[in-house]
Amino acid sequence: MNGAAGFFEDLFRGLLQGTPPGAVYALVALGFVLTYKTSGVFNLAFGAQAYISAAMYFKAHTLWGWPKWAALVVSAFVLAPLIGLVLERLIFRHLRTAPAVSKLVVALGLSVALPELFNQAARFTAVAGRQITGIMPDGSGVFYDPFGVYRFNRDELAMMAVALVATLLLAALFRFTMIGLAMRAVVESPRMTELSGINADRTSAFAWALSSTFAGLAGVLIAPRFNSLLSTDFFTLVVIAVAAAAVGKLVSLPRALLGGLGLGWFIAVFNTFLPRWSGDHAWLRPFQENLTPSLPFVVLFAILVLWRAIGREREASDPLSGVDPPPPALAALERHPKLTLFTRLFGAGFIAVVGSVVWFRAGVLWMHLVTTAVIMAVIYLSVTVITGMAGQISLCQGTFAAIGGFTIFQMADRFNMSVLAAALLGAGVAAAVGAVLSLPVLRLGGVWLAIATLAFAFFFDAVMVKFSWVGGGTTALLTGTRVPRPLIGPIDFASDRAFLVLAVVVLVVVSIVVIQLREGTVGRTLTALRGSEVAAASIGISAARARIIAFAVSAAIAGLGGALLSMHQQNVNYSTNFGPVNALFWLVIVVALGARTVEGAIQAGAAFALFEPLILKGDLLAWILRGEDHLPGLFPISGSWRLVLFGMMAIQFARHPEGLVEHGKRRASARINRWLQTREGVAA
Amino acid sequence: MFRIRRTVAVLCATVMLAAACGNSPSGDGATPTPDTATPTTAAPATTAVDASQPDTVVEAPEPDAAETDEPTEPDTAETDTTEEAPEPATAEPDTASEAPEPETDEPAPTTTSEPVVAEPVDPYPHRHDFVSLQGVPGVTDDEIRVAVIGTDKNNILGTCILPCFHTGIQAYFDYVNDAGGVYGRRLVIGELLDDELGFNQQRSLEVIDGNNSLAAFQATLLPSGWGDLNHAGVPTFVWNIHGADAVDRDNIFGNHVIGCPTCTIRSFVWIVSQAGASRVGLLGYGISETSKVCTRAFGDSIDLYGPDLGMEVAYFNDNVAFGLPNGIGPEVTQMIDAGVDFIATCMDLNAMLTLAQELERQGVRDQITLLHPNSYDQEFVAAAGDLFNGDYALLVFAAFEYEVDSPLRHAYDQWVPANGGPVAEQTLVGWINADLFVTGLLEAGPEFDRQSIVSSLNQITYDAGGLINPVDWSRQHTAVEPFVYDHAYALHCTSSVRMEGGAFVGFQPEPWMCWPGDTEEWSEPTPTDFAG
Repeated sequence: MNGAAGFFEDLFRGLLQGTPPGAVYALVALGFVLTYKTSGVFNLAFGAQAYISAAMYFKAHTLWGWPKWAALVVSAFVLAPLIGLVLERLIFRHLRTAPAVSKLVVALGLSVALPELFNQAARFTAVAGRQITGIMPDGSGVFYDPFGVYRFNRDELAMMAVALVATLLLAALFRFTMIGLAMRAVVESPRMTELSGINADRTSAFAWALSSTFAGLAGVLIAPRFNSLLSTDFFTLVVIAVAAAAVGKLVSLPRALLGGLGLGWFIAVFNTFLPRWSGDHAWLRPFQENLTPSLPFVVLFAILVLWRAIGREREASDPLSGVDPPPPALAALERHPKLTLFTRLFGAGFIAVVGSVVWFRAGVLWMHLVTTAVIMAVIYLSVTVITGMAGQISLCQGTFAAIGGFTIFQMADRFNMSVLAAALLGAGVAAAVGAVLSLPVLRLGGVWLAIATLAFAFFFDAVMVKFSWVGGGTTALLTGTRVPRPLIGPIDFASDRAFLVLAVVVLVVVSIVVIQLREGTVGRTLTALRGSEVAAASIGISAARARIIAFAVSAAIAGLGGALLSMHQQNVNYSTNFGPVNALFWLVIVVALGARTVEGAIQAGAAFALFEPLILKGDLLAWILRGEDHLPGLFPISGSWRLVLFGMMAIQFARHPEGLVEHGKRRASARINRWLQTREGVAA
Repeated sequence: MFRIRRTVAVLCATVMLAAACGNSPSGDGATPTPDTATPTTAAPATTAVDASQPDTVVEAPEPDAAETDEPTEPDTAETDTTEEAPEPATAEPDTASEAPEPETDEPAPTTTSEPVVAEPVDPYPHRHDFVSLQGVPGVTDDEIRVAVIGTDKNNILGTCILPCFHTGIQAYFDYVNDAGGVYGRRLVIGELLDDELGFNQQRSLEVIDGNNSLAAFQATLLPSGWGDLNHAGVPTFVWNIHGADAVDRDNIFGNHVIGCPTCTIRSFVWIVSQAGASRVGLLGYGISETSKVCTRAFGDSIDLYGPDLGMEVAYFNDNVAFGLPNGIGPEVTQMIDAGVDFIATCMDLNAMLTLAQELERQGVRDQITLLHPNSYDQEFVAAAGDLFNGDYALLVFAAFEYEVDSPLRHAYDQWVPANGGPVAEQTLVGWINADLFVTGLLEAGPEFDRQSIVSSLNQITYDAGGLINPVDWSRQHTAVEPFVYDHAYALHCTSSVRMEGGAFVGFQPEPWMCWPGDTEEWSEPTPTDFAG
């Protein structure tokens, strides 16, 4: 009897202990649902918005000494809605009828750009140990124990109360008010809504102001949970909270509240009982060891994959979207033959000149940078395959690349295997993992596929990397994850120049493979699926088969690129290269510049490696001005601006899914075509 | 189908070709091989000067006392570059930096108004001998330039890293320059590079490519460029929190070495005994192998020594979620149920704050003592008020709360505040690294270059005038495994402090408490002052 009573007391205490973190998840999930309901955007930038308000509150109250109420008003009720209005006016107003995946990419770009923009503009950095104080007086120092089992402090009670009250008020807003109805209608179809006499622009602006205010309020309320403010923590929190939002299928606020609380309760109860049980039952120990750090991501992945209803949910789409024209073909397919010839000659000449300069003049730094650019282009070709060709958003390309890197580390370290063979093996392992992963997640499609791959990336980061047969375990702790360069006969690729040649060869080969794939059966199948999955299925095309192949090929390319990068750096450098948040930037930069073409991937690789030293650091301008002494005082510009610029460029994805470079190329091509035709007409 | 068959055939051929290839024996990522120029084997700690080195200095010091294996008689001679250096009378580094006259062989006249202490024999009487050098990177007739690389922007820890590290180095350079510099030259930080967390390799390559710095200093969170600097032969002095990235790299030196992450830790057990505790709870991050191994080492220590000392592990959890996003309520409840009276963690200072607050919430804060591995931050502890009362912090350098009769410490206390820096861990790390660099210069002699600096340092034992546990660089570049002592510290030492009323308080009789380094048997520690 005592045992049963003790069990229930522990269970009850566990539930109470899980309530504050559950309220955190609930607040974020509510905000997420609110944004989705009122804008149709799967807003992964919600965490960035919350972070900005939290950081502003911290700066105003803790660093500047403002009263709490003033800091709260400015950060949550002035700055946050202002950001929402700006985002709506400049970006999302133009994306109302865009596909959900396009909006997701835009939100991803913002999630990368906004925190950095704020940090740079406000000169804000995390401060260790300077805990943000909550909005309540002595919020973390005064406790209440309503049940005599576990004490809550004032800040936690305020947060839980806000979550509950917000759920009720927002539910009432959507159910009983005209503005609530109008906001939902604008999401469904702004054009049809305007036919009913509703000002869609004004309604949308109100919706963004409301959801952004909620993001700001949530950020300020949540912030005391973190001991130092980092935007990545807020992003991770949003990823976890997606699980709670998914419980409400992104539309139900009460279910999102319950989902958030349930997640907090589940984790707390899990942490209460599993360590105890694993002490008695040894077979539970591996589960406890491996699941505990990654439990939120496992829950998210499980909800997405196992809950069949998620995949069946159709994304809201504008009934009038069918009248919009399809995206135009690639410029290269439409341009004048003379222009094509000129472009190719110019490209070959450019490559020859740059190659010669690099080969004969570059020192160790520029040789490293150019090689990095080439290798990143290889990795980015994996994005070309999965996003540009298959139209799917995968946020775990960094994980596939890491698999390639760890494979060569393990093979070289344990078996002294040739790293070239190990690189191919790594590509194969990555392909296998990609194919297996695609089986459960491809059913989801769209934004859910993106989130599932992100959850997998976090899971790999939290669990897989620490296994000795992956990340090296104690061996890596003692001597790192060092990787040798290859040796082919007399050619020792320890030489940077020789290795650059190898990287270029790999890039050429992979580019040919991608072009062959695009022009072959798989590529045409994927094109057909992008046009209309229903129509493709009606003529016997297997969407699953084509996408699994695309996923596997994409993973293999990423794995090969990751292996090559590890060889280049002679170390896997997982944290620097392949972390889940780092890899988000890969997608952003590729879609910003061009996800549909090989040239886009190569340009993205060059931008990734060379933009910071050439442009931000000012080397190009210094070369033009003939000396660093002539550079303006603003140089060197922080490398963080790279995140801001490319994040902002990604917002163009919805309007120009072919990428900015391809878009510019198309416009230039059209002009030249017109000019050539006019000239030929005159001549005739 | 033809396309697929062709693709498969090409793939098979490629795999076979690749399998026939080998791995480069050179390069930083290659299997480590002993560097013929820099002894790394488990050579006995002798003072033999390598006659094969062209820069061997005839007037080389006599570091024999430091090189012996006698643990309780630490060296004071070989590295003490500061003994004859005048105390700065003014706390104005700018004035100081203008003081030296590089053209003369004589030390710069001091401006001190305090009486000059009678000096012992200068171990480096050649310190002001000027020899014009050609082709040595970063060295002119007037200056010796170095590069400082570290993390400032995007610092996820939020602690003062690069600015404080830089301040420590600059303060030391000002201090040395005030005394006439080295070999008639001023020490100058020529490049200060922020790696912004993700650009460490690029910044390191910039230093290598620019070839304008004799040496590099690094305080970074992601050391992706250390391998390149090592491979390029650049003497590199680092904030060594990344043991794996420094191991087997003979050009990399630091304020300490991560000796053996998997070995048992007697100092930890001793701290538990000082707290009068018997039931120990251990917490570590599941996501970090470093944290897990550290937690296991704590557990192994209690398992090994605890039975004789009346201690046991009452709670063990090395799978805590990083950043404690879900709080740490259930874990604390379980520790209370298990009767824990001492908690040691391998977590950052932010997590320690969360843990202490949770203990307070559950009403046991005054009954459970915490051991902080990373919380030696005066501002942080002051801000926490009484929250950490009675807790302990373990350090890898002599805590500021202990009197260390070392000229290097006295100079630090004067020159770092004069440079606007806090008396804190990171400025001390910069300061010690700068002293290590200058020690290498002086050991190498007036005709120094990168190679001779590295070679010289790799023959000495260095203790920063008693501020750190002596490191024998002739053998401590190598990873250490349990029960193998060839590359281990001669002494296993700790400098620990207690927290009282928002401040740190010393409680040891001497700055260091030490155990023999060639055994893992339990013994009572020996109070030690390496400066004494």
